[in-house]
Amino acid sequence: MTFMGFVLSAVAVAAALGVVFNRNPLYSAFCLIVNLLAMAGLYSVLNAHFLAVTQVVVYAGAIMVLVLFVLMLLNLKAESGRKLGIFRTLIAAIIAGSVVTTVYPSVSANFEQLSIHALQENAWRSEGTVKAVGEEIYGRYIRQFELSSLVLLIGIVGAVMLSKRKHSTIGPREGGLGGMK
Amino acid sequence: MELGILLIKVFIVMNLSLVLASLCTWLERKGSALIQDRVGANRAGAFVESKRWYVKPALPVIRAMGWLGVINTLMCDSLKGLWKEDFVPEGASKFLHGLAPVIAVLPVMLAFAVLPLAPDFTLGGYTIHPRVAAIDGGLLFVLAMGSVAVYGVAIAGWTGNNKFSLLGALRAAAQMISYELPMGLVFVAIIVVYGTLDVYSIVQEQQKLLWGVIPMWGVVMQPVGFVVLLLAGMAETKRGPFDLPEAESELVAGYFTEYSGMKFLLFWLGEFAEIALFALLLALLFFGGWDIPWVTLPQGVWWAALVGHIVLMTKVVFFCVLQIVIRWTLPRFRYDQLMNMGWKMLLPVALANLVITAVLKVAL
Repeated sequence: MTFMGFVLSAVAVAAALGVVFNRNPLYSAFCLIVNLLAMAGLYSVLNAHFLAVTQVVVYAGAIMVLVLFVLMLLNLKAESGRKLGIFRTLIAAIIAGSVVTTVYPSVSANFEQLSIHALQENAWRSEGTVKAVGEEIYGRYIRQFELSSLVLLIGIVGAVMLSKRKHSTIGPREGGLGGMK
Repeated sequence: MELGILLIKVFIVMNLSLVLASLCTWLERKGSALIQDRVGANRAGAFVESKRWYVKPALPVIRAMGWLGVINTLMCDSLKGLWKEDFVPEGASKFLHGLAPVIAVLPVMLAFAVLPLAPDFTLGGYTIHPRVAAIDGGLLFVLAMGSVAVYGVAIAGWTGNNKFSLLGALRAAAQMISYELPMGLVFVAIIVVYGTLDVYSIVQEQQKLLWGVIPMWGVVMQPVGFVVLLLAGMAETKRGPFDLPEAESELVAGYFTEYSGMKFLLFWLGEFAEIALFALLLALLFFGGWDIPWVTLPQGVWWAALVGHIVLMTKVVFFCVLQIVIRWTLPRFRYDQLMNMGWKMLLPVALANLVITAVLKVAL
């Protein structure tokens, strides 16, 4: 299990690098899918089967299909080799450095106990089962859960409102094919 | 020994999916011929002659199989696929072009891994669970694999490097996402009714009797859910009246226009394996799996498991035939009809079904 955990971590990191360094946006999207699937594999190595399956259904299955759909619809070409100026490189380096220095201490503090221990074979835990996750969501975190679903509902209503505005050029037309004829 | 049993199970389940897929191929070829008043494949092997005495007893069987088109389906199609030129369109990524058919087949076969194929039994001191992986939330795993299968189609359409395959891939992606929602909602309703995510337990629950008379099959408990899942599942397999991604009258062959040889056949294999998978799901979730109504087979005996398996497979073949008959009977939908049906009909019905099911479950 520990071995599989390290393999999947390596795949996830390689795919994440692929997302950033690919010139073609579609290849970046494919790399992101590989990354999400590797993360799902990591979850299942950590015995969180429900989280792993949800990750595949929601992120790898639904959201990334929509991203791919839009990318394919726009039919983008690979970006030409554009170089950043020295000023922009500096700003990017500062932002990236500050993010790393902020996040790294909090990750590394628990790394020894958390990740290595969890990756060990005998560290069977029942925290990832459907029952355990359900009890947490609908018991301890019920308010937070309901609030976040409200936020999602607001997002959906907002999207519908924006697309149904008058004088909109995108809305459905006669014949239903949206001007494809 | 445990590992050996697991390997045997993997071998059997893998081959079962392939056998069911080839059975569906044969049913499609001969069934479509029957429906369209044609004769269908009846040549390959039908005229085999031999002077060798040890071949002669087998000849009538071979001729009958050839006349029925079995040899054509099993041998000729695949051999032809292997020997054809493997064509990669210009400007396409060779890696992705080869990857797409694999992604179209692999998730479907993986989904078979979590589905039980017979009741548990003991043989030689070992308790055998006739499924490869008993993961937590097996039903969700099937759904996840269904959503991963979209990528095979999407990548295939994109690497085709032409407008028709791209349009086919876009249609397929939109269609499969739209119909995944009602499908998932019906799964949730089933989970609510039987109170478990485990497919084996769902089948066990269905063997109970409602008011001591009617078996608690999914189709009795969830009639609306059954209809919704039948429609959504047929749209997920991209067949029947829902085959817009490969609409040959508009898009040449849709997303696999640029594929030839064995890669092309892999797409078909994936499609037929999907039919078999969907038939298996229907049989397990809605028709009691290996349950024969009002008959109780002894628990844990190998012959009872075998009888159960045969009963389950009979149901699976029935649903395969049903899907093929529907596919060759109904004309193709228009695209707006397809989207309207998915979003304005099936989704509200599935949602209402889920709410009513939950209310009834709490009230009763």
